Amino acid sequence: MRIFQSWRYPANWRIFRLDDRLLLILAAIIVGSCSGLASVILNRALMAMFNWFHHLRHYWWVFVLPATGAALSSLFLEKVVKEGAGHGVPEVIYSVSRYGGLLRFRSSFSRLISSALTIGSGGSAGPEAPVVISGAAIGSNIAKYFSLNDRQRVTLVGCGAAGAISSIFNAPIAGMVFAIEVIIGEWKSVNIVPIAIASVAGTEISRILQGNQIPFSHRIFNIHQMDILACVGLAILTAAASILLTRLLRSMDKIAKKVPAPLWIRAAIGGCAVGLIGLFLPEVLGKGYHVVQTTIEGAFSQGLIIVGLATIAKIVATALTLGWGGSGGIFAPCLVIGCLAGLTYHHALVLLWPSITWVNQGCFALLGMAGLISGMLQAPLTGIFLIVEITGGYEVILPLIIVSAVTTSVCHYMEPAAYYMKDLVEYGHLLRPGTDARVLSDLNVSELIEKDCIAVTQNMLLRDFIKIVKKSHRNYFPVEDEETGHFMGIIHLDDIRQYLFNPVMYDTVFLGQIMNTAVEVVNPDDDLADVIRKMDANHLFSMPVVVNNRFIGLISKGSLLDQYRKELMVQTCQSI
Amino acid sequence: MKMTIHEVAQCLNLHVRTIERWIRQGRIPIQKTGNGYLFNESALKKWAKMYRLPFSMPEKLKSRGYEERPENLLYAMKRGGVLHDLKGDDMETALKSAVEHMPVLSKTSKKELYRLLLEREHLTSTGIGKGVAIPHPREPLSDVMNSPIISTCFLEKPVDFGAVDDRPVFVLFILLSQSIKIHLHLLSRFSFCIRDNSFVEFLKTSPDETSFFAKIADFEKQLDRAET
Repeated sequence: MRIFQSWRYPANWRIFRLDDRLLLILAAIIVGSCSGLASVILNRALMAMFNWFHHLRHYWWVFVLPATGAALSSLFLEKVVKEGAGHGVPEVIYSVSRYGGLLRFRSSFSRLISSALTIGSGGSAGPEAPVVISGAAIGSNIAKYFSLNDRQRVTLVGCGAAGAISSIFNAPIAGMVFAIEVIIGEWKSVNIVPIAIASVAGTEISRILQGNQIPFSHRIFNIHQMDILACVGLAILTAAASILLTRLLRSMDKIAKKVPAPLWIRAAIGGCAVGLIGLFLPEVLGKGYHVVQTTIEGAFSQGLIIVGLATIAKIVATALTLGWGGSGGIFAPCLVIGCLAGLTYHHALVLLWPSITWVNQGCFALLGMAGLISGMLQAPLTGIFLIVEITGGYEVILPLIIVSAVTTSVCHYMEPAAYYMKDLVEYGHLLRPGTDARVLSDLNVSELIEKDCIAVTQNMLLRDFIKIVKKSHRNYFPVEDEETGHFMGIIHLDDIRQYLFNPVMYDTVFLGQIMNTAVEVVNPDDDLADVIRKMDANHLFSMPVVVNNRFIGLISKGSLLDQYRKELMVQTCQSI
Repeated sequence: MKMTIHEVAQCLNLHVRTIERWIRQGRIPIQKTGNGYLFNESALKKWAKMYRLPFSMPEKLKSRGYEERPENLLYAMKRGGVLHDLKGDDMETALKSAVEHMPVLSKTSKKELYRLLLEREHLTSTGIGKGVAIPHPREPLSDVMNSPIISTCFLEKPVDFGAVDDRPVFVLFILLSQSIKIHLHLLSRFSFCIRDNSFVEFLKTSPDETSFFAKIADFEKQLDRAET
């Protein structure tokens, strides 16, 4: 029985309690392996579904296939596991910034199933984001199992995301950088070490089960100065493509919300539209990695117009799939769109300046991918490392950096928030560590209440009040009703200073006559940022905290500064 | 010594809820176990130092506050004594003879006191009207005193002190205290007595020690009642 008990609470095992960092590293290995496994499972499932449905491609009715898949995945998410649609990365970031990385256990498999249904049936979406949320949820739940604190849990959530990306792309550095740059947003060694280990674990799992292969291997490119110059143009094209994709995704979402139909019918409509596009341009269906592969090898032989059309069609198909309620990520579509955009750009260059010998079209495809990833995620490092690793092409690093940097800046100029953070920023939910918003959201009103105020009653004479003023340390005096104890108003010494020195008024004025009743009050559950906004708007220094008509205490800017500073020091100092 | 989480919060001068949240978020080296909190006091102190947070025991604060508690009039007056029929034709000589006759003080500090009192009188008169003056040095004497002294000096004949109401002064209260805070405390209590006209009339009769102290004890009681 005792052995069983100790298995239930692994947090109490002596080996884990030796050192917190050791515990975190051990947990990181487990999390990385599990999320690596999740990504291998999804990959296998997608391959199997691709094989089942491959022979159906010849029939004319095949366009309903994506519709069925999207509808099923939407039904599964809505009715069975009761989770929202979408790709899930914003949810992970939201939970990291607000709830210390708490995620539900069911999140660790729900998106895997729904995205397998959507993508396997031909919807234009990627398997990466679902794997990221699965990995993150696995990390969060393992942290819960070990009863770790918020900070460690956030690190393990990052580990899950890192393991997932590392494993699905066989790219350990990209996974690491993605987890830190996009998910956690804090470059500290306490985070980096476990995340790096999780990346290694995730990559190793995928190499054991699937073999060590570079997803998009390519031939060697000979890059000249002209090509590097041409990169800037490509960067602007990819920036335009990513802005188009972002706007289209969001507008599709808005249009879909206006359709008076259940979620699964909306998803089916989107899927149908994708299927129809797929009848003419089969490249847009599925995650579309075969397109990337053929392009990088330089075997994609279509002309400029077809490639340009395919680029736009892929953007539209992705927006239709994801905006109308299908489930999946934007990573894979980004890669495909970037690849097609690069190809379009190459064709255009060849058409305009046929005399110059441009580098192989595969190189531009590769740069386009980096551009789109950087533009959509506004995470230049993730874009650079991901492309270097999935193509094994270190020789393109210079143009790669240029494209990533330019695209990120242009996109940032046009769309200040990255696609993943857009909703979060809109609702004020993006709270990166060490920022003002984070400190204010962590502090709450009840921690700041000062209780050394002396309450007075409204029927008190000014003479008696002056005796109380002598004893008090504060300038504010709450007025309470004698019988009910309800809060009536507040007396601020500044308001009544001239009466204090006029002895004639001592016995003629009651406090009820001079108190301020139109006073803004605070509830202990109020958001601190709102409280401060109220203080600023009304030029207040202190505000009374009132619950159920009873005065609890005072909240003032003086103590707020004190607490704010302590909180900031604890949050931003180099940690233990 | 075993500390509770509430004591930790007091030491850091923070709300208990802040500490609880920091434990949950893993910002403070305290571990939560099923039924309590686990922590090492010295590790906690080290942590506070690293983050430059103030960490001090609440007991120390309390004891320091107790020391600073100022004394009341009566004891200071008893230490200073009541002097009768002091000679002097003007302010300087009256002060001189008053200082000469003051108990407790050593010879050197008497000299210093006289000099300081004169300095103070040159700035503005300490005659507060109704024939009463309260000569005092602006700063505490260099000789360290443990407790304040008030000497009550009845003059043989009233002397011109340049008081606010130009009335000649017949009684001096020489006020010596070891800090400005105690000085102000005693001054405010004394001014409460002097505001009472019947007390001034009573002083004019140049009463003996016992009846004078009885009167002061009476005022002290009134003051204490008003404060509470």
